[in-house]
Amino acid sequence: MKPFQFISATNPGDAVARLTKNPEAAFLGGGTNLLDLMKEHVSLPNEIIDIGNLSLKEIKATATGFHLGALAKNTETANHPLIRKHLPLLSKAILAGASAQIRNMATNGGNLLQRTRCSYFYDISMPCNKRVPGSGCAALEGFNRMHAIFGWSEQCVAVYPSDMAIALSALNATVKVKTSVAERLIPFKDFHLLPGNHPEKDNSLAHGELITGIEIPNNSLAAHSAYVKVRDRNSYAFALVSVAAGLSLNGNLIQSAHLAMGGVAHKPWRALQAEDFLKGKPATIANFTKAAELEMASAKALPNNRFKIEMGRKTLINALQLAFKG
Amino acid sequence: MENSTKSIGKGIDRIDGILKITGKATYATDYPAKNMAYAVLFKSTIAAGQITKIDSTEAEKYPGVIKVITHENAPRLNTKGGLRGGALLQGPEIIFHGQHIGIVVAETFEQATAAAHLIKVEYNQKAEKTNFEKLAETPTMPKGKELADQVRGAGKSAMKTAEVTVEELYETPIEHHHPMEPHATMAMWEGDKLTLYNGSQIINGAQTAAAATLNMKPEQVRIISPFIGGGFGSKGGQWANLVLTAVAAKMVNRPVKLALTRQQMFNSVGLRQRNMQKLSIGATKEGKLVALAHEIISHTAINDEYIEPCGDCTKIMYDVPNSLITYRVVPMNIILPTYTRGPGKSTGSFALESAMDELAYKLKMDPIELRIKNEPPKDPSNGKPWSSRTTVKCLQEGAKAFGWDKRKAEPGTNKIGDDLIGYGVACGTYPARQRDSSAIIKLTLKNKVVHAKVEIAASDLGTGTNTILAQTAADGLGLPVNQITVKLGDSDLPPAAGSVGSVGASSFANAVNDACIKITDELLAKSGKQFFVRPTAAQLMISESFTDFQTRSDSKAPAEAEKYSAHSFNANFAEVRVNSITGMVKVTRFLAVTGAGKILNPKTARSQIIGGNVWGIGMALTEESVIDPRYGNFATRSFADYHVPTNLDIGNLDAMFINEEDLIPNKMGVKGIGEVGIVGVAAAVANAVFNATGKRVRSLPITPDKLL
Amino acid sequence: MKQNKTQLTPEEHRLFGDLMPEELEEVIQSGFNRRHFVKLMGLASAGLLASYALGAEQLFARAVETDEIPDLIPNAIENGVNVTFKVNSSSKSILIDSRMTLLDTLRERIGLTGSKKGCDHGQCGACTVIVDGHRVLSCLTLAATCQGKSVITIEGLAKENELNPMQAAFLKHDGFQCGFCTPGQICSAVALMKEAKEGQASFATTHISADAKPILLSDEEIAERMSGNICRCGAYPNIVAAIKEAQTGKNVPQNWLFTD
Ligand SMILES: Cc1cc2nc3c(=O)[nH]c(=O)nc-3n(C[C@H](O)[C@H](O)[C@H](O)COP(=O)(O)OP(=O)(O)OC[C@H]3O[C@@H](n4cnc5c(N)ncnc54)[C@H](O)[C@@H]3O)c2cc1C
Ligand code: SF4
Ligand code: FES
Ligand code: FES
Repeated sequence: MKPFQFISATNPGDAVARLTKNPEAAFLGGGTNLLDLMKEHVSLPNEIIDIGNLSLKEIKATATGFHLGALAKNTETANHPLIRKHLPLLSKAILAGASAQIRNMATNGGNLLQRTRCSYFYDISMPCNKRVPGSGCAALEGFNRMHAIFGWSEQCVAVYPSDMAIALSALNATVKVKTSVAERLIPFKDFHLLPGNHPEKDNSLAHGELITGIEIPNNSLAAHSAYVKVRDRNSYAFALVSVAAGLSLNGNLIQSAHLAMGGVAHKPWRALQAEDFLKGKPATIANFTKAAELEMASAKALPNNRFKIEMGRKTLINALQLAFKG
Repeated sequence: MENSTKSIGKGIDRIDGILKITGKATYATDYPAKNMAYAVLFKSTIAAGQITKIDSTEAEKYPGVIKVITHENAPRLNTKGGLRGGALLQGPEIIFHGQHIGIVVAETFEQATAAAHLIKVEYNQKAEKTNFEKLAETPTMPKGKELADQVRGAGKSAMKTAEVTVEELYETPIEHHHPMEPHATMAMWEGDKLTLYNGSQIINGAQTAAAATLNMKPEQVRIISPFIGGGFGSKGGQWANLVLTAVAAKMVNRPVKLALTRQQMFNSVGLRQRNMQKLSIGATKEGKLVALAHEIISHTAINDEYIEPCGDCTKIMYDVPNSLITYRVVPMNIILPTYTRGPGKSTGSFALESAMDELAYKLKMDPIELRIKNEPPKDPSNGKPWSSRTTVKCLQEGAKAFGWDKRKAEPGTNKIGDDLIGYGVACGTYPARQRDSSAIIKLTLKNKVVHAKVEIAASDLGTGTNTILAQTAADGLGLPVNQITVKLGDSDLPPAAGSVGSVGASSFANAVNDACIKITDELLAKSGKQFFVRPTAAQLMISESFTDFQTRSDSKAPAEAEKYSAHSFNANFAEVRVNSITGMVKVTRFLAVTGAGKILNPKTARSQIIGGNVWGIGMALTEESVIDPRYGNFATRSFADYHVPTNLDIGNLDAMFINEEDLIPNKMGVKGIGEVGIVGVAAAVANAVFNATGKRVRSLPITPDKLL
Repeated sequence: MKQNKTQLTPEEHRLFGDLMPEELEEVIQSGFNRRHFVKLMGLASAGLLASYALGAEQLFARAVETDEIPDLIPNAIENGVNVTFKVNSSSKSILIDSRMTLLDTLRERIGLTGSKKGCDHGQCGACTVIVDGHRVLSCLTLAATCQGKSVITIEGLAKENELNPMQAAFLKHDGFQCGFCTPGQICSAVALMKEAKEGQASFATTHISADAKPILLSDEEIAERMSGNICRCGAYPNIVAAIKEAQTGKNVPQNWLFTD
């Protein structure tokens, strides 16, 4: 690791002020992603501001839904009685990720900001636009089995690896951010970015901004939700494809479908076309299939990941079925 | 209950287990040393060419840095000293991506690592040979004599006479050993004497290779390796890092610790090469084999050859009058491949035993029946009689225990919910050999209690050597196990074979057993008495009040053994559950039935077998290293990309042993289990996947995308 | 075919024969069953269950923990941070380079080399230790963040001469081969007992939305929850058996089969 100053922030204001002052500083949440990247010399902060002691750890019900503190651990969040009862989709998605040890360390804020697992991004001897803008994308014509089928650009074909965020996307969450002057709320769909011409930017957070929490509106999906994750081994592996599905049902009729996909794009991929199609239709296999096909029609595969289109279709159908069964 | 006075054959707990569960077992980097310095390797970022410039000025100025070592200032070493893979910093040539090109030594690991990033290297790059698919179109003949074409009868041309044929291409990817302990060394000099703490499967091999490479005498070099965090072949032959640690320690005149990072493991300590295997089987309608051909293309390093013998199982498994085995090779800019658990047999049996399954399906025959029908009465490759052959028994007993009769012959017909269930079977074999080994036994009598110390430069990499040697000595001397101390893993001890190629248990146990017999003989002679019933060494020590006595025995394989073909055999039964939607596979049940002669300790033997099974399951389902041919680097470069099976990938594993006594290969009748445990496993799983889904995957690993 | 040829040694038989079937309640109380294991450990230390003849010599061959942490020369530390934290119930104060991970601090500075470095990147679990009651990866934990925390490593699990029940169960079930992943596995498993007692869910849990209550873990639950600890030797089924035995306090049979 490159040498860095280590400072423990005393309160959110202090943390934001310190980060704002130094363009090369970084917050340290659980450290499970940042330390990994620092050891690989992908991230090179010269100052680490430990935010682990800030009191942004509360998980609670609010007037309109639920609040997750940015520094609450993934484990606590997944196991909080409120979350298990009302947002089981979120619990399940968190528990699908990483390992027990990592979830014990990982914070909710850090999880949202984890960077891609593209192996060229991690290998500093390789060209990578995300790591070194303008150096090229080694994955575009390289080993891109794990990479995107939606929304990629010639500049970057990486996928965003979080499981938790896929559920949060389906649940219409909002990210609460503290800047040096105010607080702002970022709807989930605007939080993560597609690569476009600036793959170095994963999300719409500006340097100096601190995630303080995540807000999730009330919903009626608890009884009919599912998280399906397809991966190369049965546990402790990132998704090839994952789907978070929640159905709001009136008898057999779908009032609204909430569908987001992981492992397929540079951000949680909200399957809006499928959702639109399903709205108001009966929950049948035929409709699930049609919806999945509609969604996957716009997918564009890379040389090594053509399979993800069929895998995505099947997984969407499967997740819808499981959600329907409850 | 078995005879409780005997220890051999009992499943006692590992005698070194207590150290492992309390964190006190000492691996290479666990030894304290005063004034230790930390070394970190840095590597080439091209696959072929020359270093034109290394600028280490910034690194040298970095706080705490003691020395930067490159080919420009490294001492001249003997590159033919017996280390594998080159990369000894002897010149500017680069022959593979990630070749070691230098070392930073610093006060701390953090400083050495940070400084290594400050080194600037310039290259003159050459076109690299890294595209296996392309190069495999024009392979060459290997140099090794044992890899020459092997033709029996009419060879492959007999395929024409067959009524039913299978001709398919089977592919296995590059795999890495990835022992949990990355290769690491601590080097300490005292004058011209060098001590190397280094996990070594072959203690004396490491010693002689290190000494020769450093232009020293073997007795100047001591290897200490009581515990090894896994090796699986990668710590058999030793690699540059062993000696480079010594070089660094010499140059900074301090003890030095050098551990490879997990990422560096991909191109530092060998690998299992990628194989393309064309397997052709011809049979009569009744299922009698008439022709068998196994044509293999693999790759090796650009300047050195290692090829795993994929044709070995094919050579001896079935009774077939006409056969052909050929090896072709592609030299590539890649680290030298090396022995990897079940070398050749594990990957070769995937091709052979998959093809047998395909043949059985075509013949509408039970795959077990097909195999039994082609059982060879003697070794078809050399005409020697078997010392014993247990394949049929393994198959029959296994079928009973596993419930093979519940298998549905037609694939894709056994469904529970979204899951497809399938059964698969496959056989395997591995040679049984004994290698020269010596052992010393030291007996002491104190307060009427006899204690024995067994000394042998053997190694225990989790194989249970400590424990089985204590058991062997206990029975050989007439003592309980807890009055035996075993000392191994040190080159100062009597020389021994290595824990490689499944020769460990037979070589070590026979050496200790011979020493027990010898010491008893000598004590008898010393007593000058005649006994009606031969007393044990322990009884003699007590009755004659001898306080100290020791002897050394040097053991060799019996000459008789050469006249026979001696092997361990197995049959593997797999039950898989394939999610018909996601394509994810879980091995829910696995049974390995093994005929491996005398089982010294069924508890540790079972662990070895199921460990081999887990390896085979990894080969079948998850493990693959991918090279990006444009750069020659590994695109799968970390433990997050290279998928070793996790606990959840593994279901219920059972090990069954054939109760056999085969004293031909060695006096103890021990045949070895470490390697055979992986042989046939991948095929059994792949065959089960076919039975479950009707999809025949001929290219490993069987990841979900291949089952969509 | 004979089953379980060497299921229990005669000594084990004698001592286990009278063990009452344990109530779930007791498991819940203690996370895992102490009574059963006090017995097991009696056996171990009597040299019956685990004969560790090799042990004695090596067990004490190495000073396990440095009481006085030697200072490094000044230029060996950049951006020094003073941290005070508890390791296995003794307090440590140490000046460290800000980059130093908890793993390297334990191994290289404090002399506790039981925790292992298998990958240094959070990808194997060999470095698992228990911090403030939770299992975490020490390779991804900066020691500087441990100020005031309490760390338990493999070296701190046994009390005096009594092994932790989980250690004993690993020994009995041969839950390892090379032993390199073992400290991490055991720390992980010990913390898992607490998680099960608290009723924490896993991805294998079917009814996530049900109220959390103490769980008796199925094989599948154990396997999923232990999947963050890679064992390249492949001791997984034995690890599952050991944890099951530790949790239930009931003898889990060891299966190896011999043909007649
Ligand atoms: C081997 C391995 C396997 C994994 N597998 C999975 C998986 O299958 N699925 C999955 O979803 N995840 C997986 N993960 C990723 C893991 O979930 C993330 O690393 C973790 O969630 C990150 O959280 P953290 O608190 O540790 O983040 P950190 O590493 O502390 O931080 C990550 C980034 O966020 C910034 N940051 C942190 N908190 C804040 C804040 N409050 N405000 C602003 N910036 C902040 C940091 O500066 C840093 O840039 C895996 C990780 C590893 C190492
Ligand atoms: S896909 Fe993105 S992250 Fe990967 S190499 Fe290309 S630019 Fe870098
Ligand atoms: S060493 Fe920490 S997870 Fe591998
Ligand atoms: S015991 Fe060797 S890695 Fe687990």
